[in-house]
Amino acid sequence: MKNRVLVIGGGIGGIQASLDLAEKGIPVCLLERSPSIGGRMAQLDKTFPTNDCSI
Amino acid sequence: MGMGIRKAIYIPFSQGTPNIYTIDKEHCPKLIKDKCGLCEKICPTGAINYQQKEQEVQLEVGAIVVAVGFDSFLPRSLTNLGFGRYKDVVTSLQYERLSSASGPTGGHLVRPSNGEEAKRIAFIHCVGSRDVKNREFCSSVCCMYATKEAVIAKSHNKEIDTTVFFMDMRSFGKEFDQYILRAKKDYGVRYIRSKVSSVSQSNTSDRLTLRYSTEEGPPEEEEFDLVVLAGGLHRQTGSSEIAELLGIELNRYGFCSTIPFDSVETGKAGIFVCGAFQEPKDIPETVTQSSAAAARVSALLRPPRCKPAEEGAYPPEIDITKQPPRIGVFVCRCGTNIGDFVNVPEVVEYARSLPYVVYAEENLYSCSQDAQERIKDKIQENKLNRVVVASCTPRTHQPLFQETLRQAGLNKYLFEMANIREQCSWVHMSQPEEATQKAKDLTRMAVARAQILQPLVEVPAEIIPKGLVIGGGLAGTTAALSLAEQGYKAYLVEKEAELGGNFRRLKFSLPLDDDPQKYLQSLIEKVESNDLVEVYTEAEIKEVAGFIGNFQTTVLHKGKEVKLDHGAIIVATGGVELKPPEYLYGKDERVVTGQEFEELLARDDGRIGESRAIAIILCVGSREKERPYCSRICCLHALKTALKLRRGYPDLQVFIIYKDIITYGFKEEYYRRAREEGVIFLRYDDDHKPSLLKEGDRLKLTHRVQALGGEEIVLYPDMIILNAAIIPRDNSSLAKMLKVPLTGDGFFLEAHMKLRPVEFATDGVFLCGLAHSPKSAEESITQAHAAASRAVSLLSQTTIEAPAVIAEVDEERCRACGKCVEVCEYSAPELVDVGEGRKAARINPLLCKGCGACPVLCPSSAITLRHFTSGQIISMIDAALKVAT
Amino acid sequence: MPEFEPRIICFACNWCSYPGADLAGVSRIQYPPNARIIRTMCSARVSPVFVLRAFQQGADGVLVTGCHIGDCHYISGNERAEENIKRTAELLDLLGIGKERLRLEWVSAGEGGRFAEVMTSFVEQIKKLGKLKLKEI
Repeated sequence: MKNRVLVIGGGIGGIQASLDLAEKGIPVCLLERSPSIGGRMAQLDKTFPTNDCSI
Repeated sequence: MGMGIRKAIYIPFSQGTPNIYTIDKEHCPKLIKDKCGLCEKICPTGAINYQQKEQEVQLEVGAIVVAVGFDSFLPRSLTNLGFGRYKDVVTSLQYERLSSASGPTGGHLVRPSNGEEAKRIAFIHCVGSRDVKNREFCSSVCCMYATKEAVIAKSHNKEIDTTVFFMDMRSFGKEFDQYILRAKKDYGVRYIRSKVSSVSQSNTSDRLTLRYSTEEGPPEEEEFDLVVLAGGLHRQTGSSEIAELLGIELNRYGFCSTIPFDSVETGKAGIFVCGAFQEPKDIPETVTQSSAAAARVSALLRPPRCKPAEEGAYPPEIDITKQPPRIGVFVCRCGTNIGDFVNVPEVVEYARSLPYVVYAEENLYSCSQDAQERIKDKIQENKLNRVVVASCTPRTHQPLFQETLRQAGLNKYLFEMANIREQCSWVHMSQPEEATQKAKDLTRMAVARAQILQPLVEVPAEIIPKGLVIGGGLAGTTAALSLAEQGYKAYLVEKEAELGGNFRRLKFSLPLDDDPQKYLQSLIEKVESNDLVEVYTEAEIKEVAGFIGNFQTTVLHKGKEVKLDHGAIIVATGGVELKPPEYLYGKDERVVTGQEFEELLARDDGRIGESRAIAIILCVGSREKERPYCSRICCLHALKTALKLRRGYPDLQVFIIYKDIITYGFKEEYYRRAREEGVIFLRYDDDHKPSLLKEGDRLKLTHRVQALGGEEIVLYPDMIILNAAIIPRDNSSLAKMLKVPLTGDGFFLEAHMKLRPVEFATDGVFLCGLAHSPKSAEESITQAHAAASRAVSLLSQTTIEAPAVIAEVDEERCRACGKCVEVCEYSAPELVDVGEGRKAARINPLLCKGCGACPVLCPSSAITLRHFTSGQIISMIDAALKVAT
Repeated sequence: MPEFEPRIICFACNWCSYPGADLAGVSRIQYPPNARIIRTMCSARVSPVFVLRAFQQGADGVLVTGCHIGDCHYISGNERAEENIKRTAELLDLLGIGKERLRLEWVSAGEGGRFAEVMTSFVEQIKKLGKLKLKEI
């Protein structure tokens, strides 16, 4: 499986990289050390400058 | 995070994914001493397995993306700020949890020490950042998130007093300065430029005393209920181990090193980096960099285009058009989530009594795998042709149930959901009777709509596997090359005779030994030698027609029209340096812009050698009323120029006259170096701009010094460099052609500032470079790769399914009034000849987004919005108001 | 006599207000159970016909919710909705129903609390107005 990619870290960065790769048909293994993905961003209440909820 | 009490079995954060429970193996009695085991006994789905062990897995991969992020700085070592000593001194991340509705206090801003409401809150910036001794770099995001946190406090309760203690306001991102302005003006957040020396508590008061000093006067003290430390972004724990394992280099701060002009390339083949592990950064930059890393991997692995979904994946669709409705209703208990508050058996019983319902049952979890099998069986057994699930919000689980329908041979649009959890059981927890009644009503409404749901077809359209890049500057050229390197044809259209744009004029970079022109040279060579890039210079876009996957663009190339077919568009039209209307610019040749001076410096212009003093003025035309944004690169440009001057001309005095020095991330180092190498920094504010006059032959620069109580000093520099704003080009006609929006400042506006930074809301159109907002060369390159990645994600598909929820026109009824053409933001309706000299509107199914604005305004009721027809909505209104029995 | 419980129809757009209502649920923010929510893709989809139909069928109040101005998923649908609802309100005055029985509010996907507040205050408002008695035509 040399066409496969390992993404280390399941925060917003790792998730976005994995999605971008998977959309192109590249198989991805996403590695995250904690029990859920989402990372720091999942802990934020809102984000600037739009005050959107973060997810 | 140590802020509240958590059980040994818990959901880490309610917005994490999957949003499921996990066992804290350090606290679970079963795992520590084999006692308890209660959760295994009571879990209704048997999801608990204590025997789960860590396993070693071997993976063979072709590339690695490292996105391990950062650790937030815990200010324990900064004892003067009282963290760890006083409960009411919290980190910003703890504060996020305090203000979050799903956090430990349910969103109430209370003092952790006594649970009382916090009335005065202080935010201290640069905690663990910009500290020359230990952590020199700037964490890039604290200025803005602290402002956001102050705004949230204010919108929570206007009476709360919020004060921000900052050093420089680093609001360098898109729309950030406006956000700060709003915080000041609309919300009344108070800002004090200062250094905080200590936070303490006296014996007489339980409030915290904050001691700080400003430029103007002696140290001052103020009392607060809650102090929030805007802690920096620090090296990830274990980053050295990861680096060693992967064989990649770390910089002196413990972040991942990258090669010049390339923020995702670690220097080790096949390993790329993205996010805060590379440098502290904000969410959109992380998202951008992640896409850029994906582009590089895709160029390396070159996957074949994805095949369309295989035929036969689903059973043939049953033709239900002539059948009377046969509805099945599945009511979910969602464990206890619905079942504890809504009388589910009563709802099921009630559903059975509704017209056309031939089957109804309850499920413990309607979304579970075995429930899907049951639903399929029941569809077949009872010859159901419509399905209603009464459970949670359709926004998460509707696709799952629609998939089940397809597997059972039903069109996925024959499905309807009643939201009896988020909008019923969870919001009426103390009113079980009313909740049950509402659940019945919602089910009745869903059944009423289901009766008249119609199957819809999603028509696939082919995607042309080519991209058009508009603009051949650094960003556009990079994007075109990235498309080609990923295996896709790229048309690159540039209006000048040569590629490179503004980057052609960049002669130096930081670090000073990086050579921008050498980089550009090699980029252009790569483009020229790649057969997949077709370059059109001295060309401009005349017309863009078509839609996602199928654009036809007319290009005027050296006077001739060329027609190009392509599936995606990347906008990279760049920006320009402002020609300032002030500071004698254009009136005295000793006053030049930053870009102009760079060329003088590169050719060692004689005037520089003859000078004794040169002053650089920052924020010329930026961060002002007319242009309320930061141009982001001018500070660094000034430092670069100053350092170059100090080294090349040691006797020359260099002044930098600034509002805030914005050297985010590791660039902070150059600020320190410039100070060390004798560059003199003078700060001004909006009310007291420096003045430049001619006094005889000399240039007289007057500057008001805050620190000296407003005393004025006068300089006579031999040259003045104005680091002027980066302004957008006139993008209005292109924006109209592409149907994409612009910001108030005239830059292009992306689909979502945080999460979709390089794509437009208009499908198939992407953006990068200065056209998006001011940014550095390296940032433009990253963004260009990201835009190319997003475009390839589209181009790698062979077909795209046109959405089925769209408006359609009954041409018989249409009177061709043009109302729909007028109202549509996407130019989907068009008036066409329908024969006999009559015109009627026709809606392009690939352009229509299904918003439903046009059917409302159509005076002849000729337009129907599929799946949300007037009949369907009225059926729900009627059902909602029918008195339930 | 039991307190008058108004019957309310609420329209919520798919991209902001409906998820806002969902977030109220996820955050367990409680509000009165009087309204029945109908999801549309955009607030611009809410036709005056739907509003009038609701009153004709016995609703005491109609609440329309959408994305904040500038945040519309369809660029300007909410501005369209604002216009539509303004004109519908005038019509309600003309019909003797009263424009205060119709309200338009912006609720973003992150404003679960706000959704609950809007709902609570609207229910109170309609309670004060009392049951709608349609004039015989």
